[in-house]
Amino acid sequence: MESDNWLAVLRIGLGLQVLLYALSLRSDWNYLFAGTDGGMNARALSEALLSSQSPLVPRLGWLVTIGSAVGLSERGVLFLSWWFLVCAAAGLLAGFLSRSSAIIAWFIHLCVAKSGGLVAYGIDNFMTIGLFYLMGSPLPDRWSLDWRRGGKAQAKDPRLSGFLRRVLQIHLCIIYFTSGIAKCLGSDWWNGSNLWRALTRPPFDVLPPEVLVHGEFFFPPVGALICLLEASYPFLVWSRRTRLPALLAICLMHLMIGLGMGMYLFALVMIVLNLAAFGPEFSFRLERKVFAWLKKSPASTG
Amino acid sequence: MRERVLTPKRRVYLAWFLLHGLLIITISAREIFWLVAHRLTILPTSFSSTAQKLESIASAAIAQDLASSNPVRRDLLAYLHVTGIERGYGYFAPNVPGSYKLVFELHYPDGTVGYELPEVRSTAAELRLASLLDEIGRTRYDALREYLVKTLAGPVWREHPEAKRIRAIVGLRNFPDIDEFQRGARESYEFLYAYDFSLGRDPPQTKTP
Repeated sequence: MESDNWLAVLRIGLGLQVLLYALSLRSDWNYLFAGTDGGMNARALSEALLSSQSPLVPRLGWLVTIGSAVGLSERGVLFLSWWFLVCAAAGLLAGFLSRSSAIIAWFIHLCVAKSGGLVAYGIDNFMTIGLFYLMGSPLPDRWSLDWRRGGKAQAKDPRLSGFLRRVLQIHLCIIYFTSGIAKCLGSDWWNGSNLWRALTRPPFDVLPPEVLVHGEFFFPPVGALICLLEASYPFLVWSRRTRLPALLAICLMHLMIGLGMGMYLFALVMIVLNLAAFGPEFSFRLERKVFAWLKKSPASTG
Repeated sequence: MRERVLTPKRRVYLAWFLLHGLLIITISAREIFWLVAHRLTILPTSFSSTAQKLESIASAAIAQDLASSNPVRRDLLAYLHVTGIERGYGYFAPNVPGSYKLVFELHYPDGTVGYELPEVRSTAAELRLASLLDEIGRTRYDALREYLVKTLAGPVWREHPEAKRIRAIVGLRNFPDIDEFQRGARESYEFLYAYDFSLGRDPPQTKTP
């Protein structure tokens, strides 16, 4: 029977991610997403491009239109959107009104990401992916406040939970495989040039090049390792024997990207998705092993 | 042995899974085919024409060859956007691209000249601004580039309303490779484009194109 621990990891992890996302953009929220009212008005172009593709994709323009109908200014709508996002994140973290929180977080984040399409990057796609799966999952999980408040009675089909986890697992495998293959096809990943370039390219130049240059000999093997790890991720993580090292290696890679390139939130969302997809049963197996080892060790027996 | 029954509900899940998975694979593969077709990879150029064909097949599979007003294409695109799977995952692949810099030269009535960079307050927003600068530098459409530069010039002008004219200069940042860096080379700029904005006393107003 599939446990819903993975769902708790996804819910709490994405709750934290959404909260940090909102807090990190607080001071620039208006500048990035407002129209002429204090912002750079890139939203107008993003939304026009979006409309040319499909009128059905959620965007901040919808909320601004609704807001203006009830007398709210654009600034007021943006202010409320930010607070809704923060409240939804808090709801996800606590597991309070889990599904409503997941839907609100997904919707507001999607509106912001699509209206800010010109200032978006990979993190927005991964947050949308994670929130979309979370929204459709059989919430509440057993670690949520909802569960304690009587959600046990609403417990959903555990097979659905397993099915969605499998979809997330397969999705991650496709992501890493194609990303790895695309990198393998670039000449400069094999000689380390791309790694050097990625670390020295503004705005990712967190570490001074004068320091990085001392690691000259590490760049080619680390560059090749990144290519191989990503391309072989589906095979390594699928096999039980190699799952733990593959998961640890990929999480370590994201941690290094976060710290070395200043992409903290990108690192966090990737680690959360990986841990939710392949983590929980491991951590419990690991715990059992640690407890077993502690029982056997002389310190605990003495 | 337990009998597995495919109830209607499960059939719906299975159909969704197949469609969703197929879309993810098609979009991811299309990006790789595009890279090969444009000869951006280490593969021999003979692969290019095959990749081009495969790319068009993949594009057709996600309704990209239909008219932009076609409801199937519109609905499918909406689904791709709301699920976050509208693009591939070739980040920094096959190679890490260059980055761009935008400098505003502010000309005042008394003849003095000041310089400003587009500024945000947080590190998180800096990463987003870099995406916009990349778009400005890479786009092949001059009108789009000018519009995007204007979006960033607007707030600068609002900060400096006394400026008579703003010149926006877009440049490519060239950073030396590791060997050049060790030999003393440092970051340099390559001039790409310049735009002059002088709308009388009023700051430039951006309009939806």
